[in-house]
Amino acid sequence: MACTVVLLAVAFCVVYPLLLVVLESFQVAPPGQPARYGLDGWRAAFAEPLLRAALLNTLKVTVARQVLSLALALLVAWLIARTDLPGRNWIEFAFWAAFFLPTLTVTLSWILLLDPDYGLLNTGLVGLGLVGKGPFDIYSFWGIVWIHVITGSLTVKVILLTPALRNMNAAFEEASRVAGAGTARTALSITIPVMAPVVLSVLLLGTMVSLQTFEVEQVLGAPFRFFVFSTMIYDLVVTRVPRYDAATALAVLVLAAMLPLIFTQQWLTRGRRYTTITGQFQSRRHRLGRWRWPAFALALALTLVVLGVPLAFAVLGTFMKLFGFFNIPDPWTLKNWTTVLADDLFLRSLWNTVVLATGTAVAAVLVHSLIAYIVVRTRFRGRRALDVVSWLPFTVPGVILGLALLWLFLDVAVLRPLYGTMAVLIIAGLISGMPLGVQIVKGGLLQLGGDLEEASRVAGASWWATYRRIVLRLMAPTLVAVGMITFVGAARNIGNIALLATSANRPLSILQLDFIAQRKFEEAMVVACIIMVISLAGALVARVLGLRGGLG
Amino acid sequence: MSDTVLRLDGVSKSYGTVQAVDGASLEVDRGEVFTLLGPSGCGKTTTLRLVAGLEDPDGGEITLRGRLVASVARRLFVPPHKRNLGMVFQSYAIWPHMSVFENVAYPLKLRGVRGQAMRDRVAKVLELVGLGGLERRSATLLSGGQMQRLALCRALVYEPDLLLLDEPFSNLDAKLREQMRVELKLLQRRLGITVLFVTHDQIEALSLSNRIAVMSRGRAEQIGSPRSLYEQPASAFVRDFLGQTVILKGRVDRAESQTVAIALDGSLAGQTLAGRIAPGASLSEGAPAHVAVRPEDIEVGSNDRPAARGHTLVGVIEALLFVGDRYEARVALSEEQRILLFLARGGDWREGQQLQLHFPPDVVSVWPA
Repeated sequence: MACTVVLLAVAFCVVYPLLLVVLESFQVAPPGQPARYGLDGWRAAFAEPLLRAALLNTLKVTVARQVLSLALALLVAWLIARTDLPGRNWIEFAFWAAFFLPTLTVTLSWILLLDPDYGLLNTGLVGLGLVGKGPFDIYSFWGIVWIHVITGSLTVKVILLTPALRNMNAAFEEASRVAGAGTARTALSITIPVMAPVVLSVLLLGTMVSLQTFEVEQVLGAPFRFFVFSTMIYDLVVTRVPRYDAATALAVLVLAAMLPLIFTQQWLTRGRRYTTITGQFQSRRHRLGRWRWPAFALALALTLVVLGVPLAFAVLGTFMKLFGFFNIPDPWTLKNWTTVLADDLFLRSLWNTVVLATGTAVAAVLVHSLIAYIVVRTRFRGRRALDVVSWLPFTVPGVILGLALLWLFLDVAVLRPLYGTMAVLIIAGLISGMPLGVQIVKGGLLQLGGDLEEASRVAGASWWATYRRIVLRLMAPTLVAVGMITFVGAARNIGNIALLATSANRPLSILQLDFIAQRKFEEAMVVACIIMVISLAGALVARVLGLRGGLG
Repeated sequence: MSDTVLRLDGVSKSYGTVQAVDGASLEVDRGEVFTLLGPSGCGKTTTLRLVAGLEDPDGGEITLRGRLVASVARRLFVPPHKRNLGMVFQSYAIWPHMSVFENVAYPLKLRGVRGQAMRDRVAKVLELVGLGGLERRSATLLSGGQMQRLALCRALVYEPDLLLLDEPFSNLDAKLREQMRVELKLLQRRLGITVLFVTHDQIEALSLSNRIAVMSRGRAEQIGSPRSLYEQPASAFVRDFLGQTVILKGRVDRAESQTVAIALDGSLAGQTLAGRIAPGASLSEGAPAHVAVRPEDIEVGSNDRPAARGHTLVGVIEALLFVGDRYEARVALSEEQRILLFLARGGDWREGQQLQLHFPPDVVSVWPA
């Protein structure tokens, strides 16, 4: 009974908005006029001259970033988990911290280095007389791929693959080495194939995420008219006369492409039980021998790229009179900080962010753990359905999810008073964080094993006492980690709430977007730095509490 | 070529402050089953892993077939894949992404054996353990016993110089364990392979081995044939680890060349037993001593049918447990002294019954306390 209520509530929050998206794609009347249904939106979407290019671009970006980041992530995760790489624990933490950096901030930092005219790397090379013109251009296909690889794509894969590689039964590798295979051959013939289900599942997850990001393409692609699916949808929504019908029609296409990926992902994670710990002899790490220091240099370079450069240049950018212009006389100033910190708008946004992030984190821990518990532990008939529903927020671009929630709050009479309050943004964060949050709690619960609970029940504890005194206690680190991830996610969330935020509930991330839209990059960097500090504090807490679980 | 397949000279390995292997030395001859036996934490698995090259020693040398494979003094360390060893892991480590055939073919491919030659050798070795016809089955669909046979095939197919077995039977149920033990013994004899076997199970060790090294605290405490270890343990540790032992305390009453008479202490004061002096021990008159005897060597008579005269104690059955092939009884010799006894299944035993216990001097050993 209680389970049914949960299923219905989650379905209402997730499925209903998606149905609205589908419905809206056939609603052809302009906003503000009585509804009229037809196929104009779909026609307009397919007639869009940029569609074919956007589709192709999406595909190209996705393939390029996934291939590159997977190869790198496998190498880094293997070095951290299975070898005697010096400083591997610090390197792992660096990837954790980098995972929490806001994409937009990282993008802006790299613009400082790779802008074709003013980027430090370019001007440096020209200054050395090595080249006549800066060789790097971040406003290009490879610039976009580069930023994607070093932001989400690489870090999230390292974070998910490292624990999985660490937990693999070491005897698989040892058997191969005794049988006559060297380190490299063993890694290629045994380690990676044994990990194939996990690797594929991580790859699918990454593909899903990459089909919906839009900040990078928005900032780097727009200047050279490079559109991907999500930025095209965004364009259709934010023009003077929004084409909601065409935008949602495109979103429905994305959704249709995502569903098979989700089902494949679920199918893969079900059959990967053999990769878990067997409690055998703790294996000696592979000795890298003479490759030890080259490998360390590579790992250190990657760490600098994903964490060091963004951090250093984000801070540097806040002290510049003119963002990106290092060659003007006396380029440094404190004015950006004093302006922003004195701004009333900033203080209100900071407060909103704190409320938003904390509220989302608390709500996520409660709701996501409840969903995960029902899916993993109960015999509830709808648990499969609940599992699939918890994935659905991944299927549509963040902007469209935000749009659907906007309609939800405006259309349903009882919810209308919530519009403009923090509650709306918290619900949006809760829903967009659901796939990851539920997956992590599920992983923790599966590792816990049911017999600990059964022992408590047999010993005479009620279900509630067991949940409180056994499950919650043992799951505490995982739950806190989910809370922190959601906290950070909410603090930097843009896509989902860009359309939902009003001047009354605008958080820092939207303030940053507003500054960028006004070309006030210096102020945007100050806000970015503050979000980064909040994010890194979150990363540190999550790390200290030891989130080691991978995919569920 | 010498008949020694493996030699360890003062091999040591420590993890932090824990000395896992502490100067272990031993030799394994061609064609024999050599067992490392000991309680958990005695360093037997670490020793095996040192031989395999999965760990590198902190001290000593390891020689395989006359070729030095690890030497701390010479800073030499041959990695596992260049040692030509076969190994069966406790968890079997059957690669789940390969079929039965691929699991066995993998080491052959690494050795450049391909095509028909490879298929023939795989088929032959699978046939040998009764897995013929399962080539194409996914390795994850095998039962525990089949996985173990497959692991054995994979380790044998390239005819390694030495086969390493790391507690291979510990994941099988009792029935299957006995069956696999016999199968392995027959297979080893048929192929004449040299085996280094690690176990904590003394029945496995005693039944399978040509020679056993009983290990304790990282050293080989005693090396010998199963019977000599069982009947002539060189130390109290080996004596107590192998089989059951009844121990009574006393003092040396009269010491002759080979046998000594012991006056028992405490609640058994006034009674005397005699036995052989343990190997290597010397006992003077009046010195405290332990009398040790295997329960199955104690001769049992009842009150109406007394056992032989002399070297006899009286006991009362306190608890009687029927274990199938015999009874195990807890027998009180006095208020404080209780011992374990084995009683024949055919006898008419009951709790409270008084027994005459004869301790023949030739099966009793006497140890310094």
